[in-house]
Amino acid sequence: MKKSKVLSTILAGAMIGSMLVPAASVSAAETTEITWWAFPTFAQDSVDAEPGAYEKTIIEAFEAANPDIKVNLETIDFTSGPEKITAAIEGGTICDVLFDAPGRIISYGKNGKLADLSDMFTDEFVKDVNNDMLLQSCKAGDTAYMYPLSSAPFYMAFNKEMVEDAGVADLIKDGWTTDDFTTVAKALQEKGYMPGSVFCSGQGGDQGTRAFVANLFDSSITDDAVTEYTINDEGGVKALDYIKTAVDEGYLLNGSAYAGGDDIKNFATKQTAFTLLWGPGTQNSNQTLLDDNKIETIEVPMPSADGVPELEYLVNGFCIFDNGDDAKIEASKKFLQFLCDDAEWGPKNVVRTGCFPVRTSFGDLYEGDERMNTIASWTKYYSPYYNTIDGFAEMRTYWFPMLQAVMNGDKDAQTAADEFVESSNASIKNAQ
Amino acid sequence: MKASNKIRMRETIVSYLFLAPALFFFIVFVLFPMGLGIFTSLFKYTMKEFTFIGLNNYITMFKDPVFQKSFINTLILVVGSVPIVVIFALFVSSQTYERSAFTRSFFRCVFFLPVVTGTVAVTVVWKWIYDPLSGILNFVLKNGGIIDRNIMWLGDKKYALLAILIILLTTSVGQPIILYIAAMGNIDKSLVEAARVDGATEFQVFWKIKWPSLLPTTLYIVVITTINSFQCFALIQLLTSGGPNYSTTTIMYYLYEKAFKLSDYGYANAMGVFLAVVIGLISFAQFKFLGGDDVEY
Repeated sequence: MKKSKVLSTILAGAMIGSMLVPAASVSAAETTEITWWAFPTFAQDSVDAEPGAYEKTIIEAFEAANPDIKVNLETIDFTSGPEKITAAIEGGTICDVLFDAPGRIISYGKNGKLADLSDMFTDEFVKDVNNDMLLQSCKAGDTAYMYPLSSAPFYMAFNKEMVEDAGVADLIKDGWTTDDFTTVAKALQEKGYMPGSVFCSGQGGDQGTRAFVANLFDSSITDDAVTEYTINDEGGVKALDYIKTAVDEGYLLNGSAYAGGDDIKNFATKQTAFTLLWGPGTQNSNQTLLDDNKIETIEVPMPSADGVPELEYLVNGFCIFDNGDDAKIEASKKFLQFLCDDAEWGPKNVVRTGCFPVRTSFGDLYEGDERMNTIASWTKYYSPYYNTIDGFAEMRTYWFPMLQAVMNGDKDAQTAADEFVESSNASIKNAQ
Repeated sequence: MKASNKIRMRETIVSYLFLAPALFFFIVFVLFPMGLGIFTSLFKYTMKEFTFIGLNNYITMFKDPVFQKSFINTLILVVGSVPIVVIFALFVSSQTYERSAFTRSFFRCVFFLPVVTGTVAVTVVWKWIYDPLSGILNFVLKNGGIIDRNIMWLGDKKYALLAILIILLTTSVGQPIILYIAAMGNIDKSLVEAARVDGATEFQVFWKIKWPSLLPTTLYIVVITTINSFQCFALIQLLTSGGPNYSTTTIMYYLYEKAFKLSDYGYANAMGVFLAVVIGLISFAQFKFLGGDDVEY
């Protein structure tokens, strides 16, 4: 008797349980789960904070406001991240949301891997951004693939103590020329300071050296319409010759053995007097190292022949991979709007990138910060944005070998530049 | 069916069942990707395209100057590393295998340390050693009066491949030394003693008695070191990225660049197939010339 009672109780429980299961399933099905892969672009609260700690606070806030969406975070680094993304795209394991720059994002878009974000570029948004060049950097043709958050120029930085000791600090200022730079570099050399390097190992940070070469004698990497590479013009070749001479005479360092990160480290550890690869975010992420080495920096645009530089710039933004699930794409779009447009989190996130908001309505996020206001004024020097050109990734593989060939004397400047332009222009056609 | 046949059949089935898990993983994770690699090498295979192009990837590859350079660099690494590793390992082993257990363990430990240390850690240390500004190598050579200005070991094409080769050697000799010490310990001592009693010189003892016994181990070491040298990648990726001006680009690095930076998977697979064929041919030749079932004294 007792046995049958126990059995009937279990059966009854199982029946009730089975009725509850579908209800639970429905509830689970209503939650859309998306995955966000984040490069370390947002500054964390402290140097010791675990990677992704700030990103987790964003997710918590988003999930509280959107209980039907769950966001999984995975942090990736700049060294192995790009390869991980490529492998994941081909392996069908790519994330839903990625925070990156247009160079790679637009390439994924052109290859049909991304969701079209054109509907997010509303009239209100376009009007608020009010910068056609920046908006265009998020698109391939008319299709938008990146939803931008912030932007900042790349520029140079000098060790203040060293240039003051060399007596040339007053030359380093907005509007300075190539002649001024030569005077500064030679003065630093005479004082026994190690100059900065024209780094060209690896691939990261190559935009710094491109901007340096393009500005020295008023050349440009591409034509204004961004349809072909033009750095083999008179100014470009003259710049490469200048670099070769400066390296041979010792007032520029041959950076064939240094990657961009190495160059920054050399500067931030007081080994070199300047670096060609700096930005507001770089300053923030290296502040501890700079403080430890008691380094004060002088930040300055690239020198140019006419004193009016053309700066490369960073655009931070998000893309959504088309994993064939409309619900995930819609959830990802909501997440992007929260990240970039939310009245509280949008401005907060911009500041964490150490850059300037693309939305003018966010106003001056660095009010009273003289340094950031100065850097903000350099946005007027933004050059035509060529990172979304077809074959951009392939062009990058030719840039450093060209610099190495010139600095090591393997090729003369004209030949190296011609070969670079020929290969890079071919890469535009190859990618079409 | 006879009872013995039944037992044999059952044993066969059981054997295959034991083999099945390993075979499954071998097929899925080795044979299938290999087959896929060969298959896709015949296609223009990028993120957005998958078109059959026959042998075009191979034709392009042989005309590609960077591939040619990377093949030569790879050969230099193989030709430079394999004989040195074998000779050095043989020398160290022959000098240590008859010594005390402590001495043998010490040398085994010293030479095996770079093998068990992660490649990234080893590379970071070497990067610091080679650093043009603050590296210890320039410091020592400069203070020793051997050089008068700092050398860019990894940034100058005259030295970069040599610098890589030196690191490759340090990470490659550990295992051969262990194997040689073990193999030398197994050599029949009575033969060695008999030869010595008969008046054989140390060289004759080595060449006539020890070397034939060491041939199977040598074959293994040569084949493994050759394959490892052909597949040298991490050092290049972490130290030079193939530079300066492609002077340290190896086939493996170029393959990686094509596949993961440029998403040109078909072309990268063609390089992979070519590399596999070259390694296969060289290994075959090594087995042919160094292999042999019987040890002849």
